[in-house]
Amino acid sequence: MNLIGISINHRTAKVELRESLNLNVSEVKNFIKILKNNLLKEGLIISTCNRTEVIGIPYTNNISYQDLINALIQFKRFENLSDDNFEKFKFLQVIEHLFRLVSGIDSMLIGDNQIFKQVKDSFQIADEENFIGFYLKKIMDFSLRVGKRSISETAISEGAVTVSFAAVQLIEKIFANLSKKSALIIGTGETGEIASKHLRDKGVTRLALTNRTFDKAEKLAKELNTAVFPFDNFKEHLYKFDIIVSATGSQELILTKDDIQKAMKKRNLEPMVIVDIAVPRDVDPESKNLENVFYNDIDSLNIIVELNLQKRKNEIPKVEKIIYDELNNFSEWLNSLQVSHVIKSLRDKFESIKFEEVQNNINRFSVDDREKLELVTKRIINKILHQPTNEIKKLATETNTQDLNRIKLSLVQELFGLNNFNEQGKN
Amino acid sequence: MIDTIHTLNILLPIFYFTAFLIYLYDFLKEDKRINNSKRLFLFLTSSVHILYIIFRTIEFDHPPITNVFEIFTLLAFSISFSYFILELITDIRNTGMFIIILSIAFQIFSSFFIEDLTDVKEVLRNNLLGIHVFSALVGYSGFTISAVYGFLFLLLYNQIKQNNYGIIFNRLPNLETLEKLCFYSAIIGFVLLTISIIIGFIWLPKSNLNFSYTDPKLLGTLLVWILYGIGITRKLYGNMRGRKLVVISLVGFILTISSTIVSNFLAKSFHSFY
Repeated sequence: MNLIGISINHRTAKVELRESLNLNVSEVKNFIKILKNNLLKEGLIISTCNRTEVIGIPYTNNISYQDLINALIQFKRFENLSDDNFEKFKFLQVIEHLFRLVSGIDSMLIGDNQIFKQVKDSFQIADEENFIGFYLKKIMDFSLRVGKRSISETAISEGAVTVSFAAVQLIEKIFANLSKKSALIIGTGETGEIASKHLRDKGVTRLALTNRTFDKAEKLAKELNTAVFPFDNFKEHLYKFDIIVSATGSQELILTKDDIQKAMKKRNLEPMVIVDIAVPRDVDPESKNLENVFYNDIDSLNIIVELNLQKRKNEIPKVEKIIYDELNNFSEWLNSLQVSHVIKSLRDKFESIKFEEVQNNINRFSVDDREKLELVTKRIINKILHQPTNEIKKLATETNTQDLNRIKLSLVQELFGLNNFNEQGKN
Repeated sequence: MIDTIHTLNILLPIFYFTAFLIYLYDFLKEDKRINNSKRLFLFLTSSVHILYIIFRTIEFDHPPITNVFEIFTLLAFSISFSYFILELITDIRNTGMFIIILSIAFQIFSSFFIEDLTDVKEVLRNNLLGIHVFSALVGYSGFTISAVYGFLFLLLYNQIKQNNYGIIFNRLPNLETLEKLCFYSAIIGFVLLTISIIIGFIWLPKSNLNFSYTDPKLLGTLLVWILYGIGITRKLYGNMRGRKLVVISLVGFILTISSTIVSNFLAKSFHSFY
């Protein structure tokens, strides 16, 4: 099996270049058609915001990485790329790269488990386009197993690694059931919008918005089906909320310690989480000292992000161990495939010699003896092939001496002329 | 059987210590492989302990409730077993070591000082006394567990307030859950202590000639009962929550321990039977 792959990713190219080669689903399907026409028998295309990858089995050994790169550049009609913008892989390197990718350790955000779904979807698209054959199907099974094992056996995807997820992680450390909690989002810019969606995803049902420009808040409220408060009087409603997320562009404080204190009094000191992700800050940091008030600004959330990123980095050796385990398993499978092919050819060759010789000399034996002849020659072949067959089978399990094994198999094929024999068989 | 009892008496602190170490290791390393085995080992420890209690009861012809060191072994069992049940029900697995450490302390005291008593006062063989002591014991276990969760609440509360997102932040359940566990354990403790006090008031004046309403143990227990009563009522009426509530639980626990020390070791009380 000849396997090649190319990758343009966050290590090799700036975002503008990566964007220029990004393929949407319909483009992936069209590009598969082009590759199938003259370059790859089987293959896979993975295209996300951070990378575009093409891997596959070429029709001939003359097809190289450069052909794949040229095909991609021509397809996207983008010229400003150099050879250095691509990583190139061959045979087992492709498999290892794919395993690293699907496990999340190759991602820009280490442990990003979105990539697992993206790879899975890419395999599905390739399968729908009949681009997945015998080998790629097996590679898909192995890759998805690596992805699943990395998620379930290590903590590579655990912990929040973005500020808005860190805010949610913090809130979940204070409240047990977010579906029973209410949240107010102050400021409906991009950050406020992301925070609202995260909280909604986490089950917060009583969500309200407020914004200096009321129309903007109203628009987002419609989309998320939440309440809206006019900015002028939202402080009167502050006490109703367990979670306050503030993300405005205001240059002055929006909520003073006194405002929070009044709200806390009204809510009978029920805990309140304040997440201030605005710079400059919207809420007086002194609120932190109030009983049952959990105030966090962007710096304190960044501490969580950094700690979680470090924890994920510490998990990389565990993931790599899974990758090498599965690489071994894959090599073992591949070896067994080559080994069984050689054993079959060897047996076929001996059978054909036996058949030829028996046919040439059949008239020298009486009709009664012909059956015995068949039996005796069969036994002779079995006895001759017993030892070599066992020795060849052993090669399938010895994965740490792969190169030597490949030489041994070639030697067997050459010694008995199996390559010529197979070619003749095909003809 | 006496040899088995003596062997188990030595083994029990070792069992509890091993269980503690497994829980501690999992708390520090969060090793998924031992997540279930630590629970199994705690169950094994509790099973060995219950066998020990049964053997003692049969061998010495009375349940081990006649002196403070017999009660300590029951308390060690009751605390760990209650935690085991709690872990099964809530599936909160990372707080075990904070509770088992108390079982270790009680069991070490018990194992060192417990005696093979066969001659006990007739009053101590009474069934009502059994119920009185049993409910008080489970009640105290409730207060102990409540205090542990109260302590963990304060720990996590301060860590979050100080932006300290270390191992405590990562491993402990959320504040609301810790407060609930602290509160519900206190309720269980309060109800059972109430039953124990009622039985004590009905039965003890009749059965014990030295009974006195000014007995230090009695006054101490009443104080504990009133304190928990106030805390629970205020929480139910929504006047108290969070830090203040768990502080009451911790004070109640310290008062319970102090009252036991005073009545059993320092003052003369009709509760000291040996």
